[in-house]
Amino acid sequence: MKKLNSILALTGLTVALLTGQANAMEEHETVLEFGMFTGSNWDVASASSFVIIDRAIEAFEKTHPGVRVHYDSGILKEDYSEWCARKFLNGDLPDVFMVLDTDFTKYCSLGAMKNLDEMMEADQDFDQSKFFSTALNIGKNGGSQYALPYEVVPTLLFFNKSLLSKEKIEIPNQDWTWEDMYEICKKVTKDTNGDGLPDQFGAYNYNWLNVVNTSGAELFSADGQKVNFTGSQVYDSMLFLRELYELNQGQKVTQEDYNNGKVAFMPLTFAEYRTYKTYPYKIKKYNTFQWDCTTFPAGADGGNTSEVDALLIGISQHTNQEQLAWEFLKQLTYEKEMQMDIFRYSQGVSVLREVTMSEEAAAILQEDMDEGERVINSELLGSVIEEGSIAPSFDKYDQVISLADNEISKIIEEDKNIDSSLKIFQRTLTSYLKQ
Amino acid sequence: MKEKRIRVYQIGILLLNVAAVMAISIFIYYTTNLICRRYSAREFLQNVEAIPWNPRKNMILCGMLLLLLVASFMMRETRFKKFPRLATASLMVDFVTAVGIVYLLNFNYNGILIMVFADFLVYIKDRKAQIMLMILAIACFLLTNYSLISVWYHLYSIDTYIQFYNASAQQYLLCFYNVLVSMNIVLFVLYCAEVIMIQRGTIDEVNALYAKLEKVNEQIQEYAVMSEKMAETRERNRLAREIHDTLGHTLTGIAAGIDACIATIDVAPDMTKKQLETISGVTRHGIKEIRRSVNELRPDALERFSLDYAISKMVTDMSSLSGAKVYFNCEVKNLKFDEDEENAIYRVIQESITNAIRHGQAEKIWITMTKENSDIMLQIRDDGTGCKEMKSGFGTKHIRERIRMLGGTVSFDGSNGFTVAARIPIRWGENYD
Repeated sequence: MKKLNSILALTGLTVALLTGQANAMEEHETVLEFGMFTGSNWDVASASSFVIIDRAIEAFEKTHPGVRVHYDSGILKEDYSEWCARKFLNGDLPDVFMVLDTDFTKYCSLGAMKNLDEMMEADQDFDQSKFFSTALNIGKNGGSQYALPYEVVPTLLFFNKSLLSKEKIEIPNQDWTWEDMYEICKKVTKDTNGDGLPDQFGAYNYNWLNVVNTSGAELFSADGQKVNFTGSQVYDSMLFLRELYELNQGQKVTQEDYNNGKVAFMPLTFAEYRTYKTYPYKIKKYNTFQWDCTTFPAGADGGNTSEVDALLIGISQHTNQEQLAWEFLKQLTYEKEMQMDIFRYSQGVSVLREVTMSEEAAAILQEDMDEGERVINSELLGSVIEEGSIAPSFDKYDQVISLADNEISKIIEEDKNIDSSLKIFQRTLTSYLKQ
Repeated sequence: MKEKRIRVYQIGILLLNVAAVMAISIFIYYTTNLICRRYSAREFLQNVEAIPWNPRKNMILCGMLLLLLVASFMMRETRFKKFPRLATASLMVDFVTAVGIVYLLNFNYNGILIMVFADFLVYIKDRKAQIMLMILAIACFLLTNYSLISVWYHLYSIDTYIQFYNASAQQYLLCFYNVLVSMNIVLFVLYCAEVIMIQRGTIDEVNALYAKLEKVNEQIQEYAVMSEKMAETRERNRLAREIHDTLGHTLTGIAAGIDACIATIDVAPDMTKKQLETISGVTRHGIKEIRRSVNELRPDALERFSLDYAISKMVTDMSSLSGAKVYFNCEVKNLKFDEDEENAIYRVIQESITNAIRHGQAEKIWITMTKENSDIMLQIRDDGTGCKEMKSGFGTKHIRERIRMLGGTVSFDGSNGFTVAARIPIRWGENYD
C-alpha cells in the first residue's frame, strides 16, 4: 500500500511540475523562433544577408511588444537542410522557418508545415492577389498553401553584347523564337584561331529544360503521377536541341569559353545577374565584355517562358504561437517596406507585384549599375515572373529530372531515334513513378 | 490459489507491456539522437513517411500513461475490489489510456490493448459477454494493425528507425521487437486458457452438486409415497378395528337376541317382547357406536366442531400459515348438514385454498356460501395467476368427484384469478336426531 501511495504521489507531482513549468513560461516574454540560413539562396556571394532579417525583426518587435524573435545565426545554406531535418526529427522546428525547395515537398508530405489556407482566408488584411501568382504557386502542395514566397528569382538568358555587336548581329527582342536563336548561333559558331575546329559558340548551359519550358509542353500532371515525354512539343524541343548541338561539331562548350567572351548565350539567374553586374562582384566575373539579359526564345506552341524559383518560408505544424507566427510570416513576405529591402540588400526580386513594379525598385536596381548599362526594366521582370514556369511539387521530381538529364543528353549526343527513345523513356519513367 | 495464478499472469502481461512500450519509445528517442549526431537527418527524412512530432515528449508521455495504467491496476487489485463500479470505471480509463499509447506509438505496437482486454476478462462473468469481449479484442487488435492503418494514414514506422543501423544490429533489433510482440500474444493466450479452465472447474462443481440434489429429491419423493402407504394401512386397520368392535359386536348381539326371540316367541310372548326391547336398545346403542366411530373418521376439525367453526378455523390457520388473506362470507344460517355434505363442503374449500396458494400464488382468497332454493352455492375466488387452460391433476378432479357424489355441479374459471363455483343439493331435514 505504501508503494502504491508513493506512485500516486509521484504521478501527481509530475503533472503538477509540468503544468507549473508551462505557467512559468507564459509569464515571461514570448519568444518566436525563426529558422534561417546565412548567405544567399541563389548561390551567389552575399554580404548583407542578415540585414533584411534583422530589420524585419526590429520592425516586428516594435509592433508586437513583449515578443522577441530569435534565430540561430551562422548556419550555411549547405548545412541548413540537415539542420532543419534535425530540428524536425527532434520535434522542435522553429515556429517560422525558411524551406529549401529541395525539402519543400518532403516536409509537406511529412506534415512539418502548417496548412496556411485557413489563416490566409481568415485574415482580412491579407490579399493574396498582391503576390505574383507564380511565386505563390511555388509554395503550394496538393492545392494547398504550405509556405509563402519570400524572394523570387527568375532565370534569364544572358547574351554577350560585345560578341553580338562584333558579329554585327542585332540584339534579339523579347518575343523572339527558336529560329531566331538558331540563326544567331549559326552565325556566331566559327573557328577564330584557324585550327579547323570551332572555338566561338552559340550557347553554353542552355539545357533541355530551358527548351521544353518554352515549347508549350506540359511534362507532368499536377500530382506527379503522370509524365508526358511523347508529345510533339517535346519532340520538337529535342530536334531543336540536336540542331544546336550539331552546330558545335562535337566541341564541348565550357564555362571558360563563356568567361573569355567566346559564347553568345548562357542562362543565368536574376540573382547572378545582379551580383556580377554590380560592385564589388562585377570585377570578379564576366568583366572582359559587355553583357545583358533577355527572355528565352519561344517554340512554335510556347511562350518566352523562364523558370522561376523562390525562397519559401513556412510555419511549423506544432507551433505554440500560430497567430504570432503568421504575423511574422506576413512581416517577411507581405510587408511592402520589408519586401523593398529584397532589392536593397538581396539579389532576388520581391514577391509582391506592386513592389517589383515600383519606381523605387527600378531606382534601386539602376543605382548600382554602371552608367549607360541597360537594366532589365521592371515591366519585363514582372512579366517574366508572372508567366514563368515553376517546378512541380512532388516527391520524385528531382530524381525524374536527373534521369531525364541523362537520357536526353544521350538522345542528343548519340544521335538516337528521338521518337522511339522518348517512348521507351516514357515507359521507364511511368514505372518508376508507380514504385 | 486460482486467483493468484490469474494475478501473476496479469502482472506478467502488465510488466511486459510496460517494457515493450518504454523500449519502443526510448529506442525511437535514442535513434533520433544518433541520427542527429551522425549528420544523417536529411537523408533519414528522405526514407520515412512520417515521424513522431517530438520523440522526447512522446517518450515522457508514454511513460506517464504507463504509470497511470500501473496505478489504475494497483488500485483495482487493492482498493476497488468491493466497488465494482469504480473497477469498471478504472478499466474504461485503462482502455482510453491504452488507445492513447497506441496512437502515440503510431500503431507500431498495439499489444497494450490486449492487456486491457485481459483485465476486462476477469471482471466480466457472463459467458456470452466474455466471448463478445474476446471477439472485440481480436477485432481491435486486427484493426489497429500498423500495416492496415498505414494504407490510409502516414504513420511513422519503427522499421525505418531500425533500418538506420547496420545489418547485423538490424537483425537483433527486429528479433527483439518481434519477440516482444509475440510474447505478449503468447501470454494473452495462456491467460485466456487459464481463465477458461478455472471457469470450467466451477461449472463442473456446480453440475456435481446439482446431480446430488436431484438424487436427494428422488429419495424424498420415495419416502413420501411410502409414508402415504403406511398411513393408508394404518387407517384401514383402524377402520377394520372399529367395524369389528362396534358393528360386529352389536350385530352379533342382535343376531343372538333375535335367535332367542325366535325360540321363545311362541312359548313366552311377553319374554320375547322384553327380549326385543333389549335388542332394540342394543341396536340403538350400536347406531350410537357407529356414529361415534364414523365421527372418529371425519376430518379433525369437523370431528370435534361444527362446520361453521371448522371452516373459520381452517381459514385462520391458512391465513396465518401462508400469508394469503382468506375472507369467509357465509349467508346460510345454521350450517348443519349431513356428514357427507359437510365433508364435501369442507374438503372442497380446503382443496381450493390449497390450489389457490400453491398454483396461483394468490394473495387474497374470497369464500362465499349462499343458499338458493334448497341448494348451497359455494364459490371460492382468488387473485392469483389463474390458468388459461385447465389441466387435470390440479386438484380439480378431486373436487369434481366429491360434488358429483352429492349430485351437484361444479365449474372452474381460470381467466381472472381462479374461481371454483359449486352447486350442492342438500337433503334438508333428513339428518339424524
